[in-house]
Amino acid sequence: MHIPDGLIATNEPTSLTIAIGMWIVTIAFLGWSWKKAKTTYSRSITALLAISSAFVFAAQMINFPIAFGTSGHLVGGTFLAVLLGPHAAMLSMTIVLLMQGFFFADGGILAFGMNAFNMAVIGGLSFFLIKLLTRGSTESKRLIPSVFAASWLSVMVGALLAALEISPAFAGGVAVTMPSMLFYHAIIGLGEGAITAVLISSIQRMQPAIMGGLTLLKEKTKL
Amino acid sequence: MNKHLAVIAAIMVFLAVFIPLASSSPDGLERVVETFGVEEHTPFWNGIMSDYAIEAIADPYVSTLLAGVFGTLLVLLAGLLLGKMMKPKTQVSE
Repeated sequence: MHIPDGLIATNEPTSLTIAIGMWIVTIAFLGWSWKKAKTTYSRSITALLAISSAFVFAAQMINFPIAFGTSGHLVGGTFLAVLLGPHAAMLSMTIVLLMQGFFFADGGILAFGMNAFNMAVIGGLSFFLIKLLTRGSTESKRLIPSVFAASWLSVMVGALLAALEISPAFAGGVAVTMPSMLFYHAIIGLGEGAITAVLISSIQRMQPAIMGGLTLLKEKTKL
Repeated sequence: MNKHLAVIAAIMVFLAVFIPLASSSPDGLERVVETFGVEEHTPFWNGIMSDYAIEAIADPYVSTLLAGVFGTLLVLLAGLLLGKMMKPKTQVSE
């Protein structure tokens, strides 16, 4: 759901205002997560952060087909949130999106604020939904269904925001972007949920020690 | 360290195996744009390897794979940098 700059009309006030507004909101969230990330982790998470970000970049390249001649791919925001906690996950996903936009023109530069909010910020925030659903338990029979639900919802919320953000480019406005974006992403979200659930459950089984975010799940972390 | 290198190698293998299998259909957002016939205007920035392809390489598989490997290493590097900068100040020096 990377929004390209081609959908933002620079000569159209609404479109431009939304793009700039989302840049500002995103910077505020990233500033907050940066501040928190520097104080939250008692030990260095450098290796885990670098490798999981690299994996998410690679995984995003692999589109899986859904119905109707349409495809989707993993976003990985919830995956990163479970591994790294909400704050580092936002920063991690932001660097993935930054490289995609700058080097590969996957997602625009002007649209970067929107994309980073829809995927990085929402992905990171999905951590708090998992926390709510599991009530801090890391037992897999609670954790895995919660991870699935949070992954699906993170894609749906991202799609909903994208639908609003791109609506100025559509003659029909929100009335056409909203139902169609939510329709396709309800299906793509199932892929997101399934892949994230399998990844997290495998890591938890094979390498429980690296699930750094889980300790934050148990803690009474404040926003 | 070796464990880390093994995971990075596994990501490369993952790319090599899955790139040919990836769907080339439009994604959800692209589909919506196509359905309603929205014309995208020309963006001011076209990236360096637009659409995950290296122009100089004719073979699409090799081109995408190399772009993917390059991007993965780039993100890895950026992640290492970010992680280093994020290191808690209170931590006892090593």
